Amino acid sequence: MRVKTLYTTQVHFMTAIIEVKNLSKKYGDFTAVDGISFEVQQGETFGILGPNGAGKTTTLEMIEGLKAISGGEVILDGKNVAKQTHAVKSVIGVQLQASSFFEGLNLVELINTFASMYNRKVDAMELLREVQLEEKAKSEVKELSGGQKQRLSIAVGLVNDPKILFLDEPTTGLDPQARRNLWDLVEQIKAKGKTVVLTTHYMDEAEVLCDRIAVMDNAKIVALDTTENLLKSTGVNPTVEFKTLTAIPESTLQQLPGVSNVKRESHFYFLTTNQPQSTLDGLFTLGRTNNIKIEELTLKRATLEDVFLKLTGHQLRD
Amino acid sequence: MATTTTLTISNIKMFARNKQALFFTLFSPLLIMGIFGLIGFDRPTKFEVGIVAENTNQQTQAFVDQLKSFPTFDITQEGRDTELTELNDGNRAAVLEIPSDLLAEGNSAGQPKKITVYTNEGKQAEAQTVVSILNQFLDKTTLNIVQAPQLFTVEQKSVNSRNLKYFDFLLPGLISLSIMQMSVFSVAFVFAQYKEKGVLKRLLATPMRPYQFVTANVITRLLVGLFQAAIFLAVGVLAFHAHVIGSYFLIALCVTLGSLMFLGLGFTVSGLSKTVESVPAIANLIVFPMLFLGGTFFDVANMPHWLQGFAKLLPLTYFSSALRAVMTEGAGLGDIKWDLLGMVVWAVVLIVLATVTFSFQEKDSA
Repeated sequence: MRVKTLYTTQVHFMTAIIEVKNLSKKYGDFTAVDGISFEVQQGETFGILGPNGAGKTTTLEMIEGLKAISGGEVILDGKNVAKQTHAVKSVIGVQLQASSFFEGLNLVELINTFASMYNRKVDAMELLREVQLEEKAKSEVKELSGGQKQRLSIAVGLVNDPKILFLDEPTTGLDPQARRNLWDLVEQIKAKGKTVVLTTHYMDEAEVLCDRIAVMDNAKIVALDTTENLLKSTGVNPTVEFKTLTAIPESTLQQLPGVSNVKRESHFYFLTTNQPQSTLDGLFTLGRTNNIKIEELTLKRATLEDVFLKLTGHQLRD
Repeated sequence: MATTTTLTISNIKMFARNKQALFFTLFSPLLIMGIFGLIGFDRPTKFEVGIVAENTNQQTQAFVDQLKSFPTFDITQEGRDTELTELNDGNRAAVLEIPSDLLAEGNSAGQPKKITVYTNEGKQAEAQTVVSILNQFLDKTTLNIVQAPQLFTVEQKSVNSRNLKYFDFLLPGLISLSIMQMSVFSVAFVFAQYKEKGVLKRLLATPMRPYQFVTANVITRLLVGLFQAAIFLAVGVLAFHAHVIGSYFLIALCVTLGSLMFLGLGFTVSGLSKTVESVPAIANLIVFPMLFLGGTFFDVANMPHWLQGFAKLLPLTYFSSALRAVMTEGAGLGDIKWDLLGMVVWAVVLIVLATVTFSFQEKDSA
């Protein structure tokens, strides 16, 4: 009897496109990266957060095959980065933190030159259109603004239609508008199903772009989770800050709804709360009732500083 | 190959659009040649001679007039005090004080008439030459007066039938010098900059192999070197009437080998320089001695023996010798084979040295 195949089932496993196992980097006695491990899933946007000197860039460059690995291993798209470095370079795109492009070529020529390094031909104008630089096609790199240079960097990183795009501090030094533009660009890239790995020291950037974050400090990973979970688990809440010349007893403030902690520095008060709206409501009522003038009122969200401080016990910036 | 081809084309574009580099490459040969050509090393030297001769009689005046007709003397006669002051200031090679009756009727050998020659210690060599010429002229005059028969004549016949001048000797030296400067400095600066700015790092992130990028740069600079040599030859021949006798193919071969040698040196310097600032320091350290010892301005044979041995082994010497032999003597491949071999050996040595010292990656430092 012939059995007709009526249907087939395909089983997809969530495959990690990058596996970092016990990765370390030593320069003589100095350890820049100390045995870190994590995985990046295909199609996700993974962020590495941390202060300068934490080891983020070194980690990234080891995964990209740019820096020699001292210990551990990295498997990228099924290839061992240390042993098949050349093959790895073909499937990734990078945007480096401190690097430049040649002078003397316009943007189209630059993209074509880089494409030739992958033995590919690309539609340079199309690529420039994607990053909104088509008007500058005939300009040279030195004529671009900071934001435009970063967008160009990303365009060049995409010449080989890579599976994974690495961005090292993509918005550092950019004005708010340029930052937003860049975020939009990254969202576009994500929408194509590409995997993105980025480093940053901006919390809002991590929140907006990343599915998961690894927090790095002093060569180690101190936390690895989604942004929300990180904030929740470390219990760092927003702070209501204000100034008033009238002294208010701290106990009174402690009783405002949601307030978990009160701190005072001369005329400045800092209220940590997990219900900012209720706290503010209560504060205004207090002010009105007792005729207290409240000045310089700010609602500060939990920043990386706070998360960091909570996780590591020291400041993000020295 | 497609990668290297595209890289080469891009490189040529970059070079051509770099106004500074272009100016330097094209204009400097013209400038150098202009300076050397116009200095005119071949023009006979003239000596400024002052004459003090008052109240001269007719024969003595005739004698003085004869002195004035010498092509090598630039005679001035502005009075004793002025002439001696000028001598003191270094504006005269010598000042001749001629007695008014130097030549008179009935000159008899008994009491020779004295011409006093005033000289400046600072211009001894010139003064000696003036005195020597003067003595010759006096001897001749003496012989004429005593009506001695002329027993000897001297005829000068030039063996160098090609009528070569110093400029012909100089041109191959200038070409090899120029190629050396351009190859070393251009590569060293550009690559030290690339390294410092992180251009090389970005390239390393792609599957491109470093040798492809290096090859593209070498080819570009080889072409520029040949182009520069062509300009030198064209201007040298057309404007300064230099004589180029040998085959242009051999000239091109020498220029190519010379370029390869110095490109290797350029990469080595780039590898040794930690920053862009140290490039000129290191490059000059190596290039400057060769400027003088490499047989560009004067023949190596003119140097003291102990220095000659060292000078003969320098890369620039092999280059300029080969080029000179071809250009001024019409040497063939066989004639210059030892110089060519020297260049090949140096090219290999320098290229190996370059691969050892230069790398696209920064040294692994914290």
